[in-house]
Amino acid sequence: MDGLYNAIYKNFIRDDRYMYILNGLKITIIIALAAAVLGMVIGVVMALGKTSKNKIFKALASTYVELIRGTPTVVQLLIIYYIIFGSTAVPKLMVAIVAFGINSGGYVAEIVRAGIQAVDKGQMEAARSLGMPYGMAMRHIIMAQAFRNILPALTNEFITLLKETSVSGFIALDDLTKGADIIRSMTFDPYTPLLTAAAIYLVLTNLISFIFGKIERRMRISEQ
Amino acid sequence: MSNEDQVMIETVELCKNFGELEVLKGITTKVNRGEVISIIGPSGSGKSTFLRCINLLEEPTSGEVYIEGISVMEHKKDINKLRQKVGMVFQQFNLFPHLKVIDNVALAPIKVKKLDKEAVYARARQLLARVGLSDKAEAYPAQLSGGQKQRVAIARALAMDPDVMLFDEPTSALDPEMVGEVLDVMKQLAKDGMTMLVVSHEMGFAREVSDRVLFMDAGIIAEEGTPAQIFSNPQNERTRAFLGKVL
Repeated sequence: MDGLYNAIYKNFIRDDRYMYILNGLKITIIIALAAAVLGMVIGVVMALGKTSKNKIFKALASTYVELIRGTPTVVQLLIIYYIIFGSTAVPKLMVAIVAFGINSGGYVAEIVRAGIQAVDKGQMEAARSLGMPYGMAMRHIIMAQAFRNILPALTNEFITLLKETSVSGFIALDDLTKGADIIRSMTFDPYTPLLTAAAIYLVLTNLISFIFGKIERRMRISEQ
Repeated sequence: MSNEDQVMIETVELCKNFGELEVLKGITTKVNRGEVISIIGPSGSGKSTFLRCINLLEEPTSGEVYIEGISVMEHKKDINKLRQKVGMVFQQFNLFPHLKVIDNVALAPIKVKKLDKEAVYARARQLLARVGLSDKAEAYPAQLSGGQKQRVAIARALAMDPDVMLFDEPTSALDPEMVGEVLDVMKQLAKDGMTMLVVSHEMGFAREVSDRVLFMDAGIIAEEGTPAQIFSNPQNERTRAFLGKVL
């Protein structure tokens, strides 16, 4: 019992070290949430590109997806930090949001594309035959149906995104992982801070599953 | 020009190729206001493709389509306006599964025509009553039988107040006991003066309801005439062979 108390005292209470965890958690959540929104926007646009008849739009979207999927997240983060924003004064937090958003967008694009293509082609024809323009039909008929079908895959992507933000330390952002690691380097106790960080990630990812599970169930009920 | 003679749809030498395959090889015909036209013929003769070329769901390879005198090929930018004049009913119904029946009917008038919501819903209820489905307004398509789905699809098309209705094998995907309820709705529509083009294997409907029957074979109109001419006294060898098989 004494050992546990000592470990907690040493790692979290002394010098207010818990603040590394708390501040880190805040940064992790901000990056993950903002990048998820940005990733969704980019993903939907790229999915529309990949399913578009416009050859240039299609080629751009395909290239984007291949670039993102084909290179490691850490390398993308470093390139965006050191090369693209290298000579600017953009805050690191913003850089991380942009980097993870761009990264997530590539994966979301493929998920949304699959969702769009899974909707029966008669749906678009019926909508167009009623006089709906392509964009309107896409939004009210195709996307509305695709979204339900892809929720499980999107849940997966959001969970992955949250975990991927743990490499933010590469650009000296003190996220949850980095915060835990700072405590480790101060106390030379790897167990307590790292297992705590792992537990927090686990709670967060389960929370995402829970929330999306609820949304999914509610959508299914409305169809019965 | 009197209403009776107003040409609603006209096609001139309409051709459609899918790659090497020539599906339509020059279809020229006119559809007057209030006419009910049945298009019959063997599978693969181009009946559905012809119908789908009229509202540009398939783009014709050459030839002309006129909707109320306006060239569709020259006004592709206005295709959404032109399609509002031409309702379509599909073999597979293509109801929107994520929307309630009433919203299936009301969506396009609200979004496309930007009409007042309350007025649209009132009209949607009227249309559902007309196809005998008032009690299904709040249901989802998955809860309906095939015949009910097709009747909703007809109401959905009518909600846009089209001048012409295209029916692409509207009863082919139905269980036999449900064909009657859909045909009854179509007969009523014909009686009310709607201009209709119907691709169908329902020879009874073609004979009873239509003003004119087009027999298509291998991408052309092989023979056309009144139901009496086509069914009782077909001139073309291929018409006779076809009718011999289906009647």
